[in-house]
Amino acid sequence: MKASMWLLLVTGLLWFNLSESQTLISGEIVPSVVDEKADQEKSASARLPKNEQLAKRSTAGLQALYDFQSASGEIVKDRSGVGRPVDLRIRSLNAVRRTKGSLEVRKPTIIRSEKPASKIIQAVRKTGEVSIEAWVQPAKANQSGPARIVTISRGSTERNITLGQDGKKYDIRLWTTETSPNGLPSVTSPQNAFDTKLTHVVYTRDRTGRTRIYLNGDQVLEEAVQGSTLNWHGSFSIALANEFSNNRPWLGTYHLVAIYNRDLLAHEVEQHYLAGPRVDAAVNDQATVAANPNAQLFNQGVAPLLAKHCLECHGPSSKKGKLDLARNSAALAGGENGPAIVPGELDESLLWVYVDSDEMPKDRPPLSNEEKSILKRWIEGGATWSTENIDPSTYAYGSGDTGIWLRRLTVPEYVATVKNSLGVDISDVADDILPKDLRADGFSNTSYNLSVDLKHVEAYARLAEIIVDRLDVKAFARRFSKSQKLTDKDMRGLISKMGKWLLRGPLEDHEITVFRGISTTVASAGGNFEEAVSFIIEAMLQSPRFIYRIENQRGDGTAWPVGDYELASRLSYIIWGSPPDEQLMRAADNGELYDRNGVKQQIQRMLKDARAVERSAQFVYEWLNLARLDNLRPNPDRFPNWDDQLANDMRDETLAFFKEIAWEQNRPLTDLLNAQLTFASPRLADHYGLKSKTRNAKGTDLKQIDLSSVPARGGLLTQGSVLTVGGDEASMVTRGLFVLKDILRGAVSDPPPCVDTTPIPTKPGLTQRGIAEQRIADSQCGGCHSKFEPLAFGLEKFDGIGVYHEQDDHGNGLRDDGEILFPGDAEPVAYESSAELMDRLAGSDRVRQCMTWKVTQFAIGRPLTPADASILESIDKAAQDGGGTYASLITAIVLSELVQMTPTEPIE
Amino acid sequence: MTNRRINRRTMLKGLGSVTVGLPLLEEMLVSSAMAAEQATVPVRAFNVFFGLGIPAPLQSEGFRSVLEPLKPLSKKLLIMRNVDQVRCDESGINAHFDGASGAFTAEPPDGEAKSGGPSIDQVIRKTYYPKGLPTGMVPTLIGGTFFRRSRVSRYVHSYNDDGTVAATMQEKPRELFDRVFGTVMLADGETDARKQRLKRSVLDSVVSQYRFYTGQNSPLGAKSRARIADHLDRIREFEQRAYAMKHKAPNAPDLPPRSKLLHGGEADPGGQGIDITLKELTDEWRLMADLYALAIQMDRVRFGSVTFLAAGERIRLTGDYLYNDKKVFEFDDANQHNASGDKGCSHEWWHKFDEKKQNTQLRAHAHLKMREIAYFLHLLDGPDAQEANGKSILENSMITISTESGDGRHNNVKRELSGVFHAITGANGRFKTGQILDIGAEGLDVYNTMLDTMGASRRIGPAKREGKIIDAIRA
Repeated sequence: MKASMWLLLVTGLLWFNLSESQTLISGEIVPSVVDEKADQEKSASARLPKNEQLAKRSTAGLQALYDFQSASGEIVKDRSGVGRPVDLRIRSLNAVRRTKGSLEVRKPTIIRSEKPASKIIQAVRKTGEVSIEAWVQPAKANQSGPARIVTISRGSTERNITLGQDGKKYDIRLWTTETSPNGLPSVTSPQNAFDTKLTHVVYTRDRTGRTRIYLNGDQVLEEAVQGSTLNWHGSFSIALANEFSNNRPWLGTYHLVAIYNRDLLAHEVEQHYLAGPRVDAAVNDQATVAANPNAQLFNQGVAPLLAKHCLECHGPSSKKGKLDLARNSAALAGGENGPAIVPGELDESLLWVYVDSDEMPKDRPPLSNEEKSILKRWIEGGATWSTENIDPSTYAYGSGDTGIWLRRLTVPEYVATVKNSLGVDISDVADDILPKDLRADGFSNTSYNLSVDLKHVEAYARLAEIIVDRLDVKAFARRFSKSQKLTDKDMRGLISKMGKWLLRGPLEDHEITVFRGISTTVASAGGNFEEAVSFIIEAMLQSPRFIYRIENQRGDGTAWPVGDYELASRLSYIIWGSPPDEQLMRAADNGELYDRNGVKQQIQRMLKDARAVERSAQFVYEWLNLARLDNLRPNPDRFPNWDDQLANDMRDETLAFFKEIAWEQNRPLTDLLNAQLTFASPRLADHYGLKSKTRNAKGTDLKQIDLSSVPARGGLLTQGSVLTVGGDEASMVTRGLFVLKDILRGAVSDPPPCVDTTPIPTKPGLTQRGIAEQRIADSQCGGCHSKFEPLAFGLEKFDGIGVYHEQDDHGNGLRDDGEILFPGDAEPVAYESSAELMDRLAGSDRVRQCMTWKVTQFAIGRPLTPADASILESIDKAAQDGGGTYASLITAIVLSELVQMTPTEPIE
Repeated sequence: MTNRRINRRTMLKGLGSVTVGLPLLEEMLVSSAMAAEQATVPVRAFNVFFGLGIPAPLQSEGFRSVLEPLKPLSKKLLIMRNVDQVRCDESGINAHFDGASGAFTAEPPDGEAKSGGPSIDQVIRKTYYPKGLPTGMVPTLIGGTFFRRSRVSRYVHSYNDDGTVAATMQEKPRELFDRVFGTVMLADGETDARKQRLKRSVLDSVVSQYRFYTGQNSPLGAKSRARIADHLDRIREFEQRAYAMKHKAPNAPDLPPRSKLLHGGEADPGGQGIDITLKELTDEWRLMADLYALAIQMDRVRFGSVTFLAAGERIRLTGDYLYNDKKVFEFDDANQHNASGDKGCSHEWWHKFDEKKQNTQLRAHAHLKMREIAYFLHLLDGPDAQEANGKSILENSMITISTESGDGRHNNVKRELSGVFHAITGANGRFKTGQILDIGAEGLDVYNTMLDTMGASRRIGPAKREGKIIDAIRA
């Protein structure tokens, strides 16, 4: 133990009261031997060197955690909160003594899992790294065999890993491709370091084979154990205190056992030692959620059905019968007829009474039997809400069972990947050769829609040839190997290194063999080194690991932490839209991405790179569907000045505006709604009536324009790129729906029955605003139209192509005042002008949340589901704490569970 | 565009007596697997979609009105009225979209580019060809002439088990031709034997990697593995075309002419609709129909879907409409609506449908759609489409014709998604034909009855739902 660390610990303790159970010896807090005479009801761990304010446990890579919190029963729970718990069963309760926080094994027995330790095994196979941490107190020094403390094995001669005691040594056997199935040769701690006191034992092994043993925070051994853990047997179970053959018992007391699929770093081991063996709370929130099935039922079943069937009439703004079912407190309070939901009391819950009798939903199809059953079970089970409010837009597309899809690189990602991996620019040919990615759910990077057809395969093959033609193959190969020989050893070395770079992670042996096959074919055909490498690169460029972002998706059906190279790719594609660079790969190599601070440092570095700006522009392009501008064809009789260049200028305006606000000025993203500046070419400025502000600009050059004296303009919604969504007629419906869905993340139902939806033309005395107000006043239309058409009232003075007018073609005066009802709010808010509307939008939490959802959807490449809602709340809050900027939002997304964890499917 | 009819005879003429016609034809004609199958009639299933639908009241007029063009084929069709797709409605979603998603799947959409389940053609494909179709065949062909896009199920009508599209939509005749009959060319037009061998070695390594990710030790979940498997199938097809089909035919028929119509995003300018003449529309569609039918006749395709105008299509059509060489109407949507942009599109006739009125324009548009659907069906019933059992491809195949809507007014789901027009062919004596039946059942039950009758054990729709066999449609 380092003296400075002790000093820090002691200093830190001055801030806190020493508990009765802590032992102070010569000014130091030291691990104490469990006092056999102490009150058995007291937690033994309470006397241990714990100071969590100073020393936090790291949970990255944690796969299983046994902290022996239960003082009774035969089950030892895995409280890692990661994946499906691997609980253990004590074979003979008479052989042990349990207290809260410890388990003493007094006589030989075995404490074992009943099923294979699949999640641990799969996780270690994936990373090639493992750590075992144990707080144990051996009963005696002469146990041998080694006596099994922790083992993942099948019997006395077959194991994946075992931590044991062999006399006065801790002995660790690890099965790799280079060691025996019994894990021999083993590594052992020095004899003189052993003690029968409570000891913190940690074994770590990284993927390069570097193995360390730490005792009480200090490293006591470093050795190399070569080979890979890919051979780990998937059917082995985990046991404590004995081998599965029951002939290697260990006696002593357990306080904590934890297993990781990474090598804990020295400072983390030290921290864990300081933190002591007690873990105060479930490590992962999943445990809390899983612990309340009624809350899960609400999240997955009840909230969607309330949103689908009830909230149109019983939402915060409609509140028919004075009943608001969208908010927890309001729903429990009930409406004018009485309490709608009485937890546990079905017959007193009017919601159930009306729904069960099909009296509700009124004038709508009744709930299905399945839906009724869900509602019934939920009320009977206690009617727990997992959120304060139900947001109908969250459930707009049903439960959102999106499955786990791997992601193909989009066209821009493919081009960027080639450029950044090989230094070859194919942007001049890629768009012609590769089929376009189609838009789904608002973005063209939606993974389920990134399918492939013959054209793709042909394109990848052709592009691979073109790329290699443009590449200095020899120079590229020299980055990875100085040798230019076709011998097996040299080629395998080159393939391994080059493949790791091009395929964004280490290659397995079978992959190296496949690529090596190409070079042998070339050699046998009389080819040379350069030709061989060229063909290997061609093959790598067509590999699924190049074209797709391959990640592990198999496990136990729960979310698992992503591996380090997977995380590196997630970071780089989310932030840059391109592959990891050398620094990021190095961070993955060194295990730095398991450390949250390590990830943060990478994010900060990456956000300073021009690629981050480019990626954000792709987001804006997709979010606002700017590709639409390429296809706009306004009626030439009505808009004779329209041409393609004007459309291009509008798109460039929006992209330049975003760059200025999000990057140059680093302002909150909501400022995009009301920032008093824009960018325009002389032509576009003229179109907007701002010609005088671009006097010195030429051609299509964009010039920044200060709009502080132009109250009508300022913000995205006043730009031509967005205003054109309304078509030639500047439709209030289309513009309003755009604002509702893409700026406010709102949802709206189909037009109600018995309404002619044929658009009504304007005429003298009747403006678009007037037509919209008629619809809103109509009792059958107004329910929905009042939610979105007023959002466009403030834009009425802009015609279909974004020109500002005070009067329409009939001479009718135009208005820009109105009121806005934010989704989820009970009352609308009035605004006097377009500028005030923009200010209200910019100040709205709802707009900010919408941007959080949109950026997140683009980042993770799939539509968001109700199950994501709580994570998005956390992301939104974290981003807000960071200033609400694009950078803070991306940081929050990358640090969230959506990026750090990955769902898995059970292995059959 | 000049509609130069391409049929099987034209194609085969290219074969001559000396050499091979199109690169794939030789392989196709001599394939023993295929030759063996020729003795019996293969199972085929196609979905034919037309946009905007036929309001239920007009369907009740039988062949006297908009269904008139189907009359010559009436003995080979079973027309089903009163088929209900209301279960496909999703609150808050445009009924063109979810109605179109329901066609051939009976499921609402699952996101903008996915259906809630597989289409019936794909269920049958998987039943009869669980390990893929014979070498050289296109597993699923999706083609069509349409303009409106945004959401995919407006125009794609073949879906995999997981609801994703079963193949890429071919919306230009030339692309469809390439997809069915074309070879693929490597960048430098490889001819050198040594280099070809090396290229094969590259491709072998690629196949090996894709195989790993579809195998037992793949780290991928089921959906991802299915996608990689699909990619692997395409690689094998690529391999076949790049290396096995090296013959070039000097006298092969020319590629179809390039399309002059708008495609891609240009065809749907912000939902505002496009101007198009009747001749432009039907020339392109008929070329597409010719090529699609040819692909079936040549036994290059056994499953898929074809679309004539998307769900909620927005076109401003102009031109004289002739039926049986007699002018019956003049299309001029924008002027007849007295409106431009989206308000001037034919789509609006459906919104204005009023059964108490004549609905002249809507009738003309619906009649036109039936005329063009009938054009495609006739191609599968003509002299080039006769099979060993003495029946035509039309009679031997399961061809399902449907649409997105029973009405067109977004004002009542029950009206709009009830009474959705359906017609099916006999599938080699499995289904009744020559009748117009009032089914009075859900599309889901109709489809599951069709699947059952076709020998598929897989059922679509919710697993727990108790289905109902519609015995009236079985022969």
